[in-house]
Amino acid sequence: MLALPDYREQTPEVAARFAKIKERPVVLTVRNLEKAFGTNGSRHVVFDHVSLDIHRREFVTIIGPSGCGKSTFIRIAAGLEEATSGEMLLDGKPITGPSPDRGMVFQGYTLFPWRTVKENVMFGLEMRGNDTGTADAEARQWLDMVGLSRVENSYPHELSGGMKQRVAIARALANEPRILIMDEPFGALDALTRCKMQSYLLQIWKKVNVTILFITHDLDEAIYLSDRILVLGVNPGGVREIIENPVPRPRTPEQFLSPKFLAVKHRLDELIHGSAAEQEEEDKIPVIKLTEVGDEVE
Amino acid sequence: MATRDWLGLKQDLPPRRSAVLTILSFILPFALWAVVSYTPWIWHPLVRITDSGESEWMTEDMDVQRADFANEVEKTKAAGLAPPQGFRVNPVYLPAPHNVAKAFVTAFKTPPRLPGEPWLHESLGHSIRTIVWGFLLSSLVGVPLGILCGTYRFFSKLQEPFIEFFRYLPAPAFGALCVAILGIDDAPKVAIIVIGTFFQQVLVIGNTVRKVDPALIEAAQTLGARGWNLVRRVVIPASITDIYTDMRILLGWAWTYLIVAEVVGTMSGITYFINQQARYRNFDNVYAAIFMIGIIGLTSDLMLGAIGKVIFPWKRRGARGKSLIEWVREPGSAWRKEPPNPRAAAAALAKSLSHARTS
Repeated sequence: MLALPDYREQTPEVAARFAKIKERPVVLTVRNLEKAFGTNGSRHVVFDHVSLDIHRREFVTIIGPSGCGKSTFIRIAAGLEEATSGEMLLDGKPITGPSPDRGMVFQGYTLFPWRTVKENVMFGLEMRGNDTGTADAEARQWLDMVGLSRVENSYPHELSGGMKQRVAIARALANEPRILIMDEPFGALDALTRCKMQSYLLQIWKKVNVTILFITHDLDEAIYLSDRILVLGVNPGGVREIIENPVPRPRTPEQFLSPKFLAVKHRLDELIHGSAAEQEEEDKIPVIKLTEVGDEVE
Repeated sequence: MATRDWLGLKQDLPPRRSAVLTILSFILPFALWAVVSYTPWIWHPLVRITDSGESEWMTEDMDVQRADFANEVEKTKAAGLAPPQGFRVNPVYLPAPHNVAKAFVTAFKTPPRLPGEPWLHESLGHSIRTIVWGFLLSSLVGVPLGILCGTYRFFSKLQEPFIEFFRYLPAPAFGALCVAILGIDDAPKVAIIVIGTFFQQVLVIGNTVRKVDPALIEAAQTLGARGWNLVRRVVIPASITDIYTDMRILLGWAWTYLIVAEVVGTMSGITYFINQQARYRNFDNVYAAIFMIGIIGLTSDLMLGAIGKVIFPWKRRGARGKSLIEWVREPGSAWRKEPPNPRAAAAALAKSLSHARTS
């Protein structure tokens, strides 16, 4: 086993960056958030006591195994679901329902198939009462930024998955949201496209300087993109740890194999996939041999 | 291996084979009809008398059962009389294909027997008018109501249980009522079509609208759409192509109610024509009229399909341009000329050329 540095150790530059972030105003406040299903008899708590402050222009990722409620968390933030108790505040005001000040990018693209690429980006602008001309011009700017001007008159079904997700990002950003919430946005993409999209997102984030709340179950993605990583667990649900990512910026794909990167990954793996003891427990599952296979190994 | 290619489970057939099968689907029933009509030893249960000989009761052009004919031949022979002669024919209600084909022309050209009776084209026109009115009136209320039921649980719970009950009541059962209320002319006929269509329409369209991907609605909400805008800008465009398909199917159902509707009150339209021709024993005209309904139905459906491709451009592969929805939404901007895009045009041309080469 490789000797890894402590994942909590930060270089002075990284520490300075975190100090600076903490000075910025808080955009999203999460206080004692709890989500549970069912009544007292068969109550299932997805998570509780989740508290977090996301600062302006910070990139926060929530990671956890399936069933940890990371999607539920994000849906509460989007105003599509309600928390059982606790509260979530945007710029100090409680979140009561979906609103364009929280831009969403979903895993399933959710572009409007009856609208062209440009018209998709125009949707939010039209809803805000812009006239068609203004919306058109602004949509073109956003498409330019995600590099999709040449397909502005195409329909979503003519685009690749990566392109669709770029349109979805442009559509959400066109509303100039306070925070961009992304629910496993690259989960449906193939590995190569996914890598490209991650670098791409970092570029956009740098240009637009928006606050991002990101969800993934991919460890590399979480480390590559975020400032802080919130790890959710199951049984019992809740926050396992909030990691301040020590990997310096600007991020490059070469860092994937750097000791710091691997140290964080090791820690995340421990938190998510459980300790070695739990792993052993799983290994005790009896082996069932197939009969009549004929080519026994031993 | 060839059979596997033809009979691949749920696999697409190459276009050539699909075309062959489409044509065969029409040819096979016609071929069966032709075989029964033109092969004298298949079926042909009657004998048409060409020469009555010295039979006591047979006359020329009379159709008699084969057994009776054989009996008579034997009887006359035994008595030393000239036997009757004839050839095997099918009953008059099964005319041969060429007769029906001829009837397609003659049925339109034959003047009606009674004064004031409609010509075939007039009958057909009458029927189409009845259908169009019935379908239009039903859709005027049914489509909006269906969309409301599909969008809001409130309307769904308020309307659908009763409609579910009502749709089991057969439309023809209301015939007498309709006549009593609306008289004997076209009004009760239109009413029957409305009753037959409306209730299915609300339920089918409600279901279609309910199937709109909730993720699209959520996405729209996070983009700032709410209330009526959410219905107009998201729910309706998201389901409009499926609603259009539903309407095509419902129009087909309306045709089945037509025949029932036309018997209500004074018989009219194509049903009247068919009935009269059957009474005159012009069965070739009867078949021609029935086929006409099929032809009208199929061509109108194909036309609606083609129109659908034009007004829903996002359903076409590689489509560009504005859809009808946009036209309706932004009058004025509809006719604004889009600046020509030479690059896209060149790319489309290159694509179609390479496609033509590969296929």
